[in-house]
Amino acid sequence: MTETKQEEITKVIVISSDKVLPVDAAMKIYESEFPVTVKETCFGLIVTGPADDVLEVVENIRQLDKNHIFVKDRGFPAGDERRCRASRGGGPRPGFHFLREEVKMLPAIGAALDELEEKEPLKEKTEGKGKLKVSDLERIIEAELAR
Amino acid sequence: MAKVFIYPVNSLILADLVERYGHKPLAVMNQVREKVTNISLDSPPVNITPEDPKIGLRYAAVEVPPGVRGRMALIGPLIEETEAAIIVENPPTNFGCVGCNRTNELMKYLVREKEVPTLEVVYPESEEDAREFVYKIAAFLESLPKEKDKVGEKKGEEKVEEEKAEGQEEEQ
Amino acid sequence: MSAEEAGIVKIALVSCGSEYSGVQPEFEEAAARVNAKFVFPEIDIASIDNIGKEFGLEVASGDLRLMMARAKAVVEGITHVDGVFITTCFRCAEGAIVRNEVRRYIHKHSNIPVISYSFTERTSAGTLLTRLEALTTVARRRHLLAREVQTGLTAGIDSGSTTTKAVVMKDNRIIGTGWVPTIKVLESAEEAYSRALKEAGVSREEVQALGTTGYGRFLIGKHFNAQLIQEEITVNSKGAVYLADRQKGPATVIDIGGMDNKAISVEDGIPGMFTMGGICAGASGRFFEMISKRLGVEITELGALAVKGMQEKVTMNSYCIVFGIQSLVNSLAKGSAPEDVAAAACYSVVEQIFEQQLQEVDVKEPLILVGGSSLIEGVPKALEELLKIKVLVPRNSHLIGAVGAALLASGYVEE
Repeated sequence: MTETKQEEITKVIVISSDKVLPVDAAMKIYESEFPVTVKETCFGLIVTGPADDVLEVVENIRQLDKNHIFVKDRGFPAGDERRCRASRGGGPRPGFHFLREEVKMLPAIGAALDELEEKEPLKEKTEGKGKLKVSDLERIIEAELAR
Repeated sequence: MAKVFIYPVNSLILADLVERYGHKPLAVMNQVREKVTNISLDSPPVNITPEDPKIGLRYAAVEVPPGVRGRMALIGPLIEETEAAIIVENPPTNFGCVGCNRTNELMKYLVREKEVPTLEVVYPESEEDAREFVYKIAAFLESLPKEKDKVGEKKGEEKVEEEKAEGQEEEQ
Repeated sequence: MSAEEAGIVKIALVSCGSEYSGVQPEFEEAAARVNAKFVFPEIDIASIDNIGKEFGLEVASGDLRLMMARAKAVVEGITHVDGVFITTCFRCAEGAIVRNEVRRYIHKHSNIPVISYSFTERTSAGTLLTRLEALTTVARRRHLLAREVQTGLTAGIDSGSTTTKAVVMKDNRIIGTGWVPTIKVLESAEEAYSRALKEAGVSREEVQALGTTGYGRFLIGKHFNAQLIQEEITVNSKGAVYLADRQKGPATVIDIGGMDNKAISVEDGIPGMFTMGGICAGASGRFFEMISKRLGVEITELGALAVKGMQEKVTMNSYCIVFGIQSLVNSLAKGSAPEDVAAAACYSVVEQIFEQQLQEVDVKEPLILVGGSSLIEGVPKALEELLKIKVLVPRNSHLIGAVGAALLASGYVEE
């Protein structure tokens, strides 16, 4: 195994927000002086650095518009040669297409999260939430059957 | 906090939602990270070496192709840690570590075999679908114990029975 | 290798998961050894949705659809490459179907050389080398392969796994030959070459250019300072159409070697698609050697014996060299005639070639059968019966590699 001071991690931040642009988020990170590497992409940012710093940076960014900024881990550090189009001989990296598909769905997911937040103090009222779900589920079943 | 297996294993939406609701997504990205940052290995691009398909023998016999076993060497350890699972059916075309449907069939089967709380939902195709999708996932994640020692607490069990009665979510 | 030939060859890697199987570094190593570089064709993501329909082949795995899309990008020239290497996991039916169809698609819609291969986690760079060498040769040396006439005084040595062959050629004629069992690669090559030179009545110094091929090509090529060191796919294709005098148009070459077999689809003497078998020795010259021993005949007599027999009278229930021999020995014990057993052995070999190699290669006439086993008369006969087409066995068919090497080497005479 490699000896490391602190585990380095990489997070992908996808910004699907009307309020925050990737460049704003990047600026915020640059200003914060955390020892992390930031790479802007067409979807948002890739942040690499020591785990604690990355987690904090990511949380700060998420709070800029929490229901419209999405985060996942990435295996490869930002700009890794093994995943870089230039060095691997063209063709997008394998995860790219799926991410692109998912990004299309993010405005709807964000809207659902907004609604959920407004309507439902979800944490306290799980029972009520459950009932609401039944009707939703029935409608889905019917919609599915009617297709 | 529950360790939640997600399928597709590289999903941004699922990993994000799981984390948002205070649980730990068991995503393949972290497995890949362990591989690619291990400088003692040199088998680019994902550092899967001929040893991995052998590790994959834990999950599939030697007659199963190496591509399946190599992928299982990444994903199998996640399944072993799984305490709950969200499986999305009909996700968009997927490549790379989830580009092999045989592997995907096997991993979903192994997760279901574990008989942990599992939510199976269809990938949304419209805004309306997306809302249902998020609600279901949110409710499911809410139903999972926040602390490890609260596994099987009363509230959680009731919730579980209710879902079973509705016949939508598989909960065993 | 001239400066023009030394350029890097771009090969599109069309694969469903070599990087998840632990073999990617072997692929890269083999490519580097032939000065080639793998590239991953750019694709239009929208094409993924329709690609199944376009091929008429709808598969569940995303990576297999990606293979089809990448093939399309190559054919349409969106990504420019010199060759395509198509590969999927060994033992995956879904992968095999796509691999074959993608290869046919590229072959049908372009002139780009293609080879396909199914890998296991044990696939090594060495195994891949012959395939990539052939692929890059076709891409790189089309002009050399265009040669149809041997000129000057040249020689070729084919260092095979079982026998070593050498020929000396002068002005488009074979003037000396040597054929010895391979014991020690260099010593056997020395002996075969010396015999050929002696028969030709020329000295080593007089030979203007030498080509080497076969398993031991690098070792003997270096030892003899050969001008041309070339894998056997290219050399044998050339040698076969030359010996059979079918240099123009399509042809299919089947080479039954001592350890493995090759089926090559040839167009104007240039290999297009080919398969190499090497997983089981049950379909090789080695099998015939063992059968001859059990029947108590010389291998040179086996063919004549087989022609007299009827394979239908003997049950062969395994292609495995061990179990296959056991079957035949059992038949002998039950009273089968040796000639029927010999015929069954020939039929078993060609049946296996049919099932394992010809499935991937289009059989276009003329079918040229070469390699030492082609001299066993029962083999071409069985192959004709099985494929229902005329099988051509040219004179000196066992010297195919050496002749091809001598012919191609004459391209270096003028230099």
